[in-house]
Amino acid sequence: MSSQNSQKPVLQALPLKTVTLRLTPAVLVLLAVTLMALHRADTLPVERLRTAAMDMTGPVLTAVSAPFNAFFDQLESVTTIRDLKAENIRLTEENVRLQKWYESALKLQAENQSFRELLNVKADPALTFVTARVISDAGGTFVKSVLLPVGIQDKVQKGNAVMSGHGLVGRVTEVGQSSSRVLLVTDLNSRIPVILQNTRTKAILAGKNQELMKLERLPPDSGMTVGTRVITSGDGGQLPPDLPIGTIVSTGADGVWVKPLSDIDRLTRVQVVNAEMDQTLLTGEITPPSENKK
Amino acid sequence: MTPVWNESFLRIVGRWGLALIVLFFLFVLSAFPFRIAHLGEVRPVFMLMAVYYWTILRPVPPLAVFMVGLALDLLSDYTFGMNALILVAAQWLTGSQRKFLLGQSFLVIWAGFALIALGAGTVQWLLFTLFNLALVPAKPMLISVVLSTFLFPLLVLPLSAVHKALADDPSSVA
Repeated sequence: MSSQNSQKPVLQALPLKTVTLRLTPAVLVLLAVTLMALHRADTLPVERLRTAAMDMTGPVLTAVSAPFNAFFDQLESVTTIRDLKAENIRLTEENVRLQKWYESALKLQAENQSFRELLNVKADPALTFVTARVISDAGGTFVKSVLLPVGIQDKVQKGNAVMSGHGLVGRVTEVGQSSSRVLLVTDLNSRIPVILQNTRTKAILAGKNQELMKLERLPPDSGMTVGTRVITSGDGGQLPPDLPIGTIVSTGADGVWVKPLSDIDRLTRVQVVNAEMDQTLLTGEITPPSENKK
Repeated sequence: MTPVWNESFLRIVGRWGLALIVLFFLFVLSAFPFRIAHLGEVRPVFMLMAVYYWTILRPVPPLAVFMVGLALDLLSDYTFGMNALILVAAQWLTGSQRKFLLGQSFLVIWAGFALIALGAGTVQWLLFTLFNLALVPAKPMLISVVLSTFLFPLLVLPLSAVHKALADDPSSVA
């Protein structure tokens, strides 16, 4: 500090550019802290700014990532050729197994259909999909999120579920005109209402910024076994029910841990599920009772 | 004081253009979805390398560093202002040691970067732990610091190329 003070007369003689060079760090640090505090207090303005930035950078990122993607595609195809024989054997075996599953699925489908007709079940709303390539890994070390080049113009809505081939990977948290941001299920702030497929036990699946997710709010003695599939419950109306997420991999004293079905660390293409959602749950606006009576 | 606009205007544009291209490249590296497992999670802090190295070689306007940080914040999901804070603070700290670092060997500069990266990572980790009121795993951050340190010499090549191009530039602050 003292060296700066001694240079003061020199500073005054220098052009404005040099003065701003030396004086601003402290002010800027304060400004950054203020911005952070403002963002913590009210996320909406930043969200709007981000959505605008997202729409602007989306096409640029898509264009820039094209050569990188081509390189990775090439790399993948090389390794694929090498493993072709082993892959073929694996697929043949899997095909035999799946044939059996296919038979039983057909039988169950017919059975299900007849039960539905017997009980007069109201059908779940049909799901529609938009497939998109991941254009940016927006999170990094502390946040797990990605950017997609689809937005409002593709009928993507805030809260939509995002799937990769095998299971749920996240939820749309911000939507721009032509881009959207997805919070991944492994993020520390991700909480998803789930049920265990075999016992129908309800729980909350919490991200921990790690590879595995933790099941929380489990009823005591819920008889968890390794290998049980975890699916969305649809509670809260945000996500459609019955989307697979992961399987239980450990049930130790440190809690029940779930491994995601998709390879969340290297997502390339994902599908945004545009389900019909209860809009009142999203907006928080409840229809006044007087209107309900009509 | 009058810059030689007429004769070297295009050259100046070219030189600053090189700086912008390198900056843009670093941006892409900071956001590109790598298809290698966990690489996104332990992504090296490319922008910090540039800020550190360029601060030693030449005084970069803090406002520019601040704006770059804000741009990174918009692109990422971090609390708005966090990258700006980290980069400006790192520049401030580096700037205060600039005279010492200028005369040192590359090894010392490299070690300095490791310290700055560790400091920046720790501050970020502390802030995230504070904001989430939960202990955020620190391991990815530590791996990122180690990875950044190892990659630093590689990135110094394009960074010093930009420096050299700008050092010849009579209109720039040397």
